[in-house]
Amino acid sequence: MAEYDIYDVEDIRKLVDGELPWRTVQQMMKNGKDRDRFDKWVTILQERVSWKEKILLPLTPALFIVQKPRERVVKCRCGQEFGDYRVNWKLSALIHVRDTDEKLSQVYRGYEKPDPAWMQLREYYCPGCGSQLEVEAVPRGCPPDFEFLPDLDTFYREWLGRPLPESCEFADRTLQRIGEWAE
Amino acid sequence: MKKTLKEKLAESRQAYAATGCYAGITEPRLLRSDPIAAELFHSRLLAALIAGRETTKMISGSPYVREVAELAIGLYTPEGHNIAQSTGIQAHSRPMGEAIQWMIEHDWEEKVGIAPGDLFWFNECSVAGMHPADVYDILPVFREGELVAWVCTVIMEMDIGAVSPGCMPVPNVERATDGVRFAGEKVGSHDQLRHDIVTKCEMSFDMADMFLLDRKGAIAANLHVRREVEKLIGECGLEWFRTATCELIEEERRNQLARLRQRTVPGRYRNVISFEYYMAQQPTSWLPAKRDVIRLAPMETRIDASGRVVLDFEGAGEWGWHSFNATPSGMWGCLAIGIVQTLSWDGRANLGSLLPFELELPRGTVFNPGDTRPLAQANTWATTIETFSAWMATLSQTYFMRGFREEMLGFRSAYSIAMVGYDQYGQRRPLLAACTGTIGSAASAVRDGLDPGALLPTPEVDRGNAEIWEAFVPHLDLSHRLDPYSAGAGRYRSGLCMPIMNLIHGGREIVGSALVSGGTYGILPNLGLSGGYPGGKLIRAVLHDTNVAQLIAERRPLVHELGSPADPDYARLIEARISHPHHVPEPFALANGDITIDAHGAPGGFGDPLERELEAICRDLDNGLITAEIAARLYGAEARFDTRMQSWQIDEDASARRRREKRAERLARAVPAREFWVGRSRQLAAREFDPLISEMYASSMKLSESFAQEFRDFWALPASWQPEVP
Repeated sequence: MAEYDIYDVEDIRKLVDGELPWRTVQQMMKNGKDRDRFDKWVTILQERVSWKEKILLPLTPALFIVQKPRERVVKCRCGQEFGDYRVNWKLSALIHVRDTDEKLSQVYRGYEKPDPAWMQLREYYCPGCGSQLEVEAVPRGCPPDFEFLPDLDTFYREWLGRPLPESCEFADRTLQRIGEWAE
Repeated sequence: MKKTLKEKLAESRQAYAATGCYAGITEPRLLRSDPIAAELFHSRLLAALIAGRETTKMISGSPYVREVAELAIGLYTPEGHNIAQSTGIQAHSRPMGEAIQWMIEHDWEEKVGIAPGDLFWFNECSVAGMHPADVYDILPVFREGELVAWVCTVIMEMDIGAVSPGCMPVPNVERATDGVRFAGEKVGSHDQLRHDIVTKCEMSFDMADMFLLDRKGAIAANLHVRREVEKLIGECGLEWFRTATCELIEEERRNQLARLRQRTVPGRYRNVISFEYYMAQQPTSWLPAKRDVIRLAPMETRIDASGRVVLDFEGAGEWGWHSFNATPSGMWGCLAIGIVQTLSWDGRANLGSLLPFELELPRGTVFNPGDTRPLAQANTWATTIETFSAWMATLSQTYFMRGFREEMLGFRSAYSIAMVGYDQYGQRRPLLAACTGTIGSAASAVRDGLDPGALLPTPEVDRGNAEIWEAFVPHLDLSHRLDPYSAGAGRYRSGLCMPIMNLIHGGREIVGSALVSGGTYGILPNLGLSGGYPGGKLIRAVLHDTNVAQLIAERRPLVHELGSPADPDYARLIEARISHPHHVPEPFALANGDITIDAHGAPGGFGDPLERELEAICRDLDNGLITAEIAARLYGAEARFDTRMQSWQIDEDASARRRREKRAERLARAVPAREFWVGRSRQLAAREFDPLISEMYASSMKLSESFAQEFRDFWALPASWQPEVP
């Protein structure tokens, strides 16, 4: 609704950077949503990265799906690439697994520590900048969680009303990468 | 000829199936033709419901109602579809309607009779509801001899006549241990409860006075809403009322779809969680129940081009003989209470808010045991809350993608010790202080989580006043301080929890148990987002045979905060025999002078902790919400206390260096994911697992071939691979 399109890019930048007073944030939450938030959001992020590829979708503060000449890949803000966005990006990350008493004690102390016989705390780091991209708390043996596989073509075509130049099949390609590893 | 309720319900369902629009309303015209009248109409319905709820709070004597406000009221169409809902515990908006529909489908109109002024009760959770302690008071509304609406109030009871502690018991596994259940029983007429029903309640409940006062409060609320509805119909006419109430549902369905399209991104989202149910040592006479199990719950969310959302729980483990199984009704209820706090918060939530959602709950799983009638269901919340707390993290991720960072919201399950015994007045009864509101919320992407006061089951979470609980329960409240160790660390940290510390005082023959609103303990819930950590494990301690009397006599300090979990204050300051019961404890004895402690942990932080602003860390230090040790260990911040200024100072240069070192340490200790995959795959092939974890995977694989296939494929295991089950 047009009456809620009241925030400019600078307002959203302040929101992104946590600079808005809580009362203002509350008012933003109570208002109807601004229709062009996504475009302002991507504009802010695009200005902050040093690389040129177009951001198609922000995934986390550090990771984005970007348009390469012939493919869409997950890319860190530092420039490190994680390959086809349809493959769980965690397979291209560095991982540190905390599954011993000693390793878990570096995060959780004494009685607040989970059970290392059952659980793994997996920290995924960017090989390029060392950012901690994700932390998984899962039972031992659980495959890495593929949190987000967005349907980009549907999103741009149906929801934003501007189709991406070339469509690409919406499918989970993680097991294909595993197949390559297994060989 | 007048249509029966059964015929109307069937017609409504057929119309929805045929058109995808509620009641077949493909073009809602009435409310749109006069928006002011529409707004007034809805406001008056809502005002009636909220006023009814407040009325109940004034009549009830239970702290669950007066302090914690665990009640809500809904208005329903003749077919049992929720039109509007008061504030409060809105998980029941759909289950209350399911209860009405069940009555309709089971010929209540013909065989039981539904007349003006009839009163019905419902807490039969094998049909609908969250757990038997939530009792529904149902009242039909008539106009000129025709049933035109239903009003339904839900109140959580402190005592439902279950085995100890009387409400939400832990060790119970069979239906009969679950307390008194009412399956749409007609309990009164002419707006009055039947004398024999009142007598039955007086005989059945240790706290019959509380139960019956709650009923009076609920009847008063229902009568208030009925009167307001009658007035409205008188003013606008029955046909207008009928059409308008149906359009409210259809409009909300459309609005919800629009919100989903505006705030999320189509695609597939996954999370995984597990539940630990410890029954091996529980004192139950049904011996097959005596086993500990862990159950895996992978959850996949699919958002399609229209905005419709499917939550698919394929791969979930099996149901069991315990009171923690979820039900489809409970899952819908928890979905409702989750989305009302983030998507449909504008007071217009009703059945339409849920119509864009679909739950796929495979039969035989912990989410859908099938025949739940033989089962105890006291703790359905345990599984549903845990599940939807994790699902909220998924929903938050989609908000982040769209740039609606301020809308990110998350929770974690919470627990508190419950008791039964003789109170300070010499009466034997349940002694339940609902202190689950002491947990914080998850971080959003623009601010830290709330400290504390955030719980999925109710948006208006309230711990209540200590003095009131002390009047009801033979304990003295020792602490209302936040636990700096509880937070999930991150660029934005989660809220902190406020540990509960109570000194048992004035009672006798007290048995400890627990209110269980979650299923995780040794395995943390997967709630960290974008590099943030989940908060730590529940810390539960019981201090027996303490020297508290001596400490008080000598005017020495007691325990008032948790301190470091590695060296807690309670172990340092109090001489005692200390036990650490898990989240579903076996019954334990308590005596005056004993101390019970519950510290919940917290949900997840958001973002890399090394990116947390130093200013925020300094502020937390000054407010006692973090320690210098945590600041250095998790955030890489070098802080020192300025004794002259009595405040904390952060050394920015030293902190920047420390953070660089920590990033370098990460890179040095980590391995490529492929290396991890090879190692894990070998361990799996060799079946190097704890037996409970092996059984957990076996249980999921038994029910779901697709889960088993994906699991084997991911780890490149042979098709014949099965976990080893002892």
